[in-house]
This record gives sequence, structure tokens and C-alpha cells, in this order.
Amino acid sequence: MSSVLEQIEQQIAQLSTKAVRKNVGTIRTIADGVAKVDGLSDVMYNEMVQFPGDAIGIALNLEEDEVGCVILGDIANLKEGDEVTTTGKLLSVPVGKGLLGRAVDSLGRPVDGKGPISSTESYPVEKIAPGIVVRKPVSQALFTGIMAIDSMIPIGRGQRELIIGDRGTGKTTIAIDTIINQARINKVGLASGDPKFRPVYSIYVAIGQKNSNIVRTMSALEAAGALEFTIIVAAGAADNPANQYVAPYAGAAIGEWFMDNGMDALIVYDDLSKHAVAYRQISLILKRPSGREAYPGDVFYLHSRLLERAARLDGKGSLTALPIIETLAGDVSAYIPTNVISITDGQIFLETDLFNQGVRPAVSVGLSVSRVGSAAQIKATKQVAGKLKGELAQFRELAAFAQFGSDLDPKTKAQLDRGSRIVELFKQPALNPIPIELQVATLWAMQKGYYDELDLKRVTAAAVSLREHFSTRHDALLSKIRTKASLDAELEAGLKVACDEWKSTFAA
Amino acid sequence: MSAQSKAAEKVARLFFKLSVEGGVVSAERVSGVLAYVERHRPANPLMVLRAYHRLIAAEVARGRAVVEHSGAAPEAMLRSIAEAMTRRYSRPVTAVSKPNPALIAGLRVRVGDDVYESSIAARLSSLSTAN
Repeated sequence: MSSVLEQIEQQIAQLSTKAVRKNVGTIRTIADGVAKVDGLSDVMYNEMVQFPGDAIGIALNLEEDEVGCVILGDIANLKEGDEVTTTGKLLSVPVGKGLLGRAVDSLGRPVDGKGPISSTESYPVEKIAPGIVVRKPVSQALFTGIMAIDSMIPIGRGQRELIIGDRGTGKTTIAIDTIINQARINKVGLASGDPKFRPVYSIYVAIGQKNSNIVRTMSALEAAGALEFTIIVAAGAADNPANQYVAPYAGAAIGEWFMDNGMDALIVYDDLSKHAVAYRQISLILKRPSGREAYPGDVFYLHSRLLERAARLDGKGSLTALPIIETLAGDVSAYIPTNVISITDGQIFLETDLFNQGVRPAVSVGLSVSRVGSAAQIKATKQVAGKLKGELAQFRELAAFAQFGSDLDPKTKAQLDRGSRIVELFKQPALNPIPIELQVATLWAMQKGYYDELDLKRVTAAAVSLREHFSTRHDALLSKIRTKASLDAELEAGLKVACDEWKSTFAA
Repeated sequence: MSAQSKAAEKVARLFFKLSVEGGVVSAERVSGVLAYVERHRPANPLMVLRAYHRLIAAEVARGRAVVEHSGAAPEAMLRSIAEAMTRRYSRPVTAVSKPNPALIAGLRVRVGDDVYESSIAARLSSLSTAN
């Protein structure tokens, strides 16, 4: 609606012969994407200001007789003495379904060379998060397709779940797998024609990443057929810090459109450590007082106001956030990680040691948690995986003690053996999310001891073979699990028949 | 901002307050301030005077309407602009003429940070940037 009004106002402005009033200022100094401007006496906090040559700035520091602005865009042609004009508008980005399948920059301009974006609406980049009254508790599952996560650390629609770990531990892979899984679920759901089906659209925000990595992510999504349900907001390492600072807020605005219009969306911020670094750089150049690790005092608010925008709204849709944080040497007690851990509703902690041991995804069960808990799980998963987290935690503890002695009682040996099998079962290749019904079947077989007689090294292969068996020969049974979402006697009987059938073929 | 420039800014603001009488910059008081600086030499006099100049220039600009025009600017027009701006800002505003052929036709009036644009050049510029 606002765009329609803007169109009429533009038309009136073109016909009107009245003088146009502008509030102007002059650049006093300019460095590293930040300009100090004299004048601009009417400028508002966070208002968009127009620099010469189509460069846009945001007024971040309002001082007594000067304004500090971060500049989004090319600063090469700007110089001291240039005129800056207020626009009376807050920074906004185009939103809507027209952005699906596209890659845009932090101002919503296309960067993928696929032509202009068809969008008639725009949303402000900065917006106050929804209040308490309009929110609903998180109770609908959002399947990542990663068995270790869906069974032990479930994520719900509207939740904020942090993915945290050292570099090269598979943080981005988990996020990409989740996006691919949403696309697969969307395709099946939309093809079924079920009117109650709610697709999940994904937004991937790349902050301070290498452009080659962004291209690789795009290619992976395209190859998996997920790009058509995904929007990529790219502010690469070569972009100036102001663009990197704005990018997650632009992504949140794009996601809010889906939420406000009764749809569900998932947003991945990859990663907020680099976002904090970009903000620190801007703040230091703006000469704001610095605190711990030279971050400014409002670095907590920087992330809390962003992540609070993820919500499940009453009578509308939801926005689920998966922020990513990179740690150094596994230190989760550093400044930015502890901040984001306290803001989110749980974290998936990835361990370098596990990754190097070949346990991939390298999810540390002990340190990972979902504060929404089983409220975001379907009944079938609860039935087959209810006690898994406890069993695995016990296994880790026993495994640590077992290293010191060889004489173990049979009960401990059995617990260790079972734990090792669960670890093997959760190994999963990258970019290969597993549908929830197949996860249920795999875990049901584990609960019923179908992998107990196998050699430990064959458990992962057995689970893959079992899933293949189910997908090729028992599609109807899988559909029933998917639609009923809980296991009754009839389904369990079907699972037993299918597993017995598989066991005879696999053993042979 | 360094401690030196902060201190200079503070002194300049003090001088600026002393230079304004009844909301208007007084030439007599400015001369008095300059004479004081000459005699007593505060720390970093150059920094102080630059900051003082900036503050006084901004204040003077608030009381002066610079009328840029491409054609003739009759005295009556300047008078009416001065009256209109005085009413608008509730403070005495004088009008100063500044020829600017780049406007093609029309006027551009600047009072402090506010610019009132009604020229052909501005309209052409807005048309060229419209999508």
C-alpha cells in the first residue's frame, strides 16, 4: 500500500511547480566508508541521506553541529565539500516473492546478473521487533534434515537457534542442508495439494564472506533445486563495512514480509562474528567509546534487536533465525559468542575434535541445546528418539572413563557399544538432508536392535541401505508416517515387516 | 576527536555564546572576542579560531537567504523573499543575490541548512534520476 501512495506522491511532485525544500549539509571529512557532515540540522537518527553520485548514507551519529554517516556504495568519487541531502526516509529494501531465486546486495539491488527484480513493496531495514501480545509459543517443527539435530536438538518455526563452532567445522553446511531440506519439503507439500501445507522460504545472508564461498553456496543450492525457494543477501568481504553492517537487517526485513503475510520463513545469518567486527570498525571510525575487545557499548543490542525480529506471530506466519558464530579454539566464553548464546533459544555446538575423528556433522551433544525442546518435535520422533540425548551423554562420560581401564562390567560394555552405534548412525554426508519419515524409520530400527549384530564400521552403511530400501519399496508406509506424524501399532507392524525384509537382504 | 581539539571546541563555543546578542551575531562582540584572543592567546589559537569561524559562519547563514538566480533578480523580489523567510523562521533574515546561470531558469534559496529549490536545473536532475 505504501508503494502506491509513494507513486501518487511522485506524480504530484512532478506536476507541482512549488519550490521543494531540502535540508543539506557539507562533507567535512571522509574516511573508510564514514563521512562527517556539517549541517543536516533536520536529519533523523537512521535516516537515509543522499550523497552525490547515487551513493546513499545512513545518519548514525547525531552530534551538536555535525552528523556521522556510514556510506553504502561507492565512495571513490566523494570528496570534502560535497553537498549531502536528507531524504526524509528510513533505509528500506524491496520485499516479496519476486526476490526468490535471486541474489541481492544489502540495499536489495540484484547482484546475480539476472536482470531487475519485480517487487512493488519495500520494508524498512530497521524495525522494532514484534511485542509480547502478538507472539505465539513455538510449537511447529522445522526439520533440518540432519538426524542428530532433528532427533536431539529440535528446532521450531519462530525459534532462534545458534550454530556455533570453530572455522571449518561445518557450520555453513548445516545451514545449507536446512535450506535444501525446506525446499524438498516445499516441493512434496505443494505437489500434494494439501491446503493446510505451509511452505518455508529461506533467506541466506552472507556477511563478510569470500565471494567465491558465496558463489559456491549459490551453486550448491541451485544444484539441489533449492534456489527457487531461497533469497541470498550478499555483503562479501570486499563490500565496505557499512554494507556488511546493514545486510542482516535487510535480510530480516525481507523475511518479515513473509511472516507478516501469513507465510513461514527461515533466515540464516552467516556469520554474526564478522557482523560484529564490521560494526566495531564503523564505531571506531565514528569515534564512539569502545569497551571490551574494542567493541562499542551497544554491541549486545546490535544482535538482540536483530534476533528478536524472529518470531511466530498469532494469526500470521513465522520467521526462524539460524545465526552462525565462529569461535576461536572452541572458546564459547568469548564476548560475542556469550552475547549471542544468551539471546538465542539454544545452540548447536560443533567440535573440531569430532570433525577430525570423522563424526560429521560434528555436533557436540553435551554442549548443544534447544530451549524449545520437544515442543517443536513431531510425536513419531519423540517416540523413537526421546531418550537418545541422555544415552549419548552417558556414552561420552563412560567412554572417557573406559580409556583408563580394560576391565568393564557387561552393562557398561553394552552401553558403550550402543553409544558407538548411535554415533555411527548419526554420521551423514553434507548436502544430503534426510526426510523426517526416513529419520523415524532409521531410529526405530536402532531402538529395535536391528544394527546390534552388525560390525560397528558397517552401521553407517547399513543405515543408508535401510533408507534406500524404505524409499524404493515402502513409499506408502513412509507417506503414512509423514501424514500421521506418530507411530501406532499398525505403522510399527509395517516398520517391522520392512526392517525384517531389509535385514535378510542386507545380511546376505 | 583528540583532547586538544575538544578543548579548542569548548573555548570556541564559549566565544560564540559571547558573540551573539538577542539571537543575532553582533559585529562589535566578534571584534571584542578577536581582540581578546590577540591579547591573551588561548591554547591552540588556530584550532580555536577555526572552530569559532565555523560556528559564526553557520549562525550568519541562518540569518541570511542566499538567492541564486539565472536571470534578473529585482529588489522587490529579494525583499519579499526576506520577509517570507523572516516570517517562516521567526528571526530576522536578509536576502542576498547570487547569480547562477547553471540553474537555467528559476530560483534556489538557501537559508542555513535549508534549500528551497525551484529551478529548471533541479527538475531536470530529478527527472534524470527518476526510475
